[in-house]
Amino acid sequence: MGAASVKSFGYLIDSVRALGTSMRQVFRPVNTVQFPDVIRPRAERYRASFALLHDEEGDELCIGCLQCERICPSQVIAIKAAGKRESPITGKKRGYADDFTLDMSACIFCELCVQVCPTDAIVMTREQDPPAYSREDLVLTMDKLYANEKSKTRSWGDATKLMGMQEAPKAPKAHAPAAVAATVGAAAPAAAESAPATKPSEAAPGSASSDPTRAPEGQVPPAPPAAPDAGAAS
Amino acid sequence: MQVQTITRRVDPHLAIDLYDPEAELLLLHFGPQHPSTHGVFRMDLYLDGEIVVKVVPYVGYLHRAVEKLCEKLTYAQITPVVDKNDYVAPMTNEQAINMAFEALLGIEVPRRARWIRTIFAEMQRIASHLLWLGTFALDMGGALGGGSTVFLHCFRERELILDLFEDVTGARFHYNTHTVGGNRHDIPAGWSAKVKAALDVIASRLPEYASMTLENRIFIERTRGVGILDGELALELGVTGPILRASGVDHDLRRDAPFHAYDEVKVNVVTRSAGDCLARAQVRLGEIEESIRLVRAMIDGIPEGIINAGRPIKQPAQFKIPAGQVYVGIETPRGELGTYVIADGTANAHRLKIRPPSLHALSALPHILPGATVSDAVVILGSLDPIMGEADR
Ligand code: SF4
Ligand code: SF4
Repeated sequence: MGAASVKSFGYLIDSVRALGTSMRQVFRPVNTVQFPDVIRPRAERYRASFALLHDEEGDELCIGCLQCERICPSQVIAIKAAGKRESPITGKKRGYADDFTLDMSACIFCELCVQVCPTDAIVMTREQDPPAYSREDLVLTMDKLYANEKSKTRSWGDATKLMGMQEAPKAPKAHAPAAVAATVGAAAPAAAESAPATKPSEAAPGSASSDPTRAPEGQVPPAPPAAPDAGAAS
Repeated sequence: MQVQTITRRVDPHLAIDLYDPEAELLLLHFGPQHPSTHGVFRMDLYLDGEIVVKVVPYVGYLHRAVEKLCEKLTYAQITPVVDKNDYVAPMTNEQAINMAFEALLGIEVPRRARWIRTIFAEMQRIASHLLWLGTFALDMGGALGGGSTVFLHCFRERELILDLFEDVTGARFHYNTHTVGGNRHDIPAGWSAKVKAALDVIASRLPEYASMTLENRIFIERTRGVGILDGELALELGVTGPILRASGVDHDLRRDAPFHAYDEVKVNVVTRSAGDCLARAQVRLGEIEESIRLVRAMIDGIPEGIINAGRPIKQPAQFKIPAGQVYVGIETPRGELGTYVIADGTANAHRLKIRPPSLHALSALPHILPGATVSDAVVILGSLDPIMGEADR
């Protein structure tokens, strides 16, 4: 009897402690926002929808090269390439896309189509499209994609910037300080407007040297404790 | 609480005659839509009164044929697809698959990319364990400071980490930020400071979680001695990760077979020997602390340099991997995620097999559930932290 009441008293103490933790939240700032009225700022690289761009002269940038259609893992891009014809603006002969559709209902927003485009024609936007009432509304037609260029804030990335971020310098290997400087120099113009590709400030002094004795990444580790298939049969 | 002794030679599936009318067992279908199954998972529980005497788990409700799909897609297209396997820790899926390709190609990943990958992996571990703690507390019902309190607290802190990932990659869950040979996104200016601020917040909230879970008598009594998994049996079943470490087996690939930059930092492996649900919770909360320590130690020392050893892939059909086969296992928040690839020299893998830690964790259920009550069954299932997207793939 006595032991039981001591035990119950312990529960009470811990419950009150837990309740105290909960009550502490009352004095903290609110974490949520009232969504349609307040929209949180989106990250600079946020990937939400797509847009096709024009160049400075107002010509369509897309040349209908089908690179994006080929790399898309979900195969949601369908392009009708027009072949070469004279540009109505500059008069030069170049490729065009007659039709361009992107089916957002199956897109996985992987950004690969943006990364491979040779002319920076397709980019992602930071704003979503409005909610759809039918599946057709989710298909971004060419008109919608070109309209998004005007109506939506662009996300940071385009092919040049994404490639510039990852591109290895040409000749000597990366670790020599000179080569590092070259990388920074090469990537900086592309990335200048927002985030430089590499930042000297982020490295601790002396950490830039590499360890030449290190084994290559991805060596096969020792056998796992059980065969990879051990539990698959159950 | 009844402690199970497990004779390893007894097949838990066949020990009882289900059709014996004398046994008067009640068959309870648990799932696939039960909220505590974390995905679509079904168990058939055979009950004697309130005690579970036999369990038959069924996986496969979320089967998406990912391995077959990976054989059809080119190497360049696989990364964003495997993101969806373990959707609570997507970064680790990408890392595992790309490390396998890198091993086949013999590429050495630049040091900067390795450090960034390590930091991502550790932050992913924090986010994943936070989600686990929240849902685990939710499974246990309303006693802990008001039902979903822990759940919402954990999600609030997890958001901080997702925001940081969003800053780097532009996505919150399915990042596609790794590629063969390195990373696709470099960290933006001022990101390290944001990481440190977020980690400070999370670290300061850890005692609050403890007051509602590990130090709370109600939590302790619901988890101590429940679902005891013997270390030897765990090894036999291929169970890895926090569950194995909670059963007293000191095994962590981050320390035992260092990948990324784990050979340059010291990982303190958290272990417990009890093997019950409480020990699993202690290990995971300990790992959050350890991950915070690791990220704090690394974030200021990210080396300069390039983030990708190769050129980004433009033509998926032209990116080929020479014939060969490789197995690469990495330590994810849930245990050892293995990738086995057989390449045949073309742009597609001949065979690609993913070894998900969750499937092996679930395979322990028939051994640890019998003898527990139905309400404990929920707790035991939650303590295994299964992610069905990766168990079924
Ligand atoms: S972002 Fe969408 S459209 Fe572009 S490649 Fe990925 S899945 Fe295809
Ligand atoms: S959007 Fe770019 S990659 Fe796609 S067809 Fe046009 S130019 Fe080629």
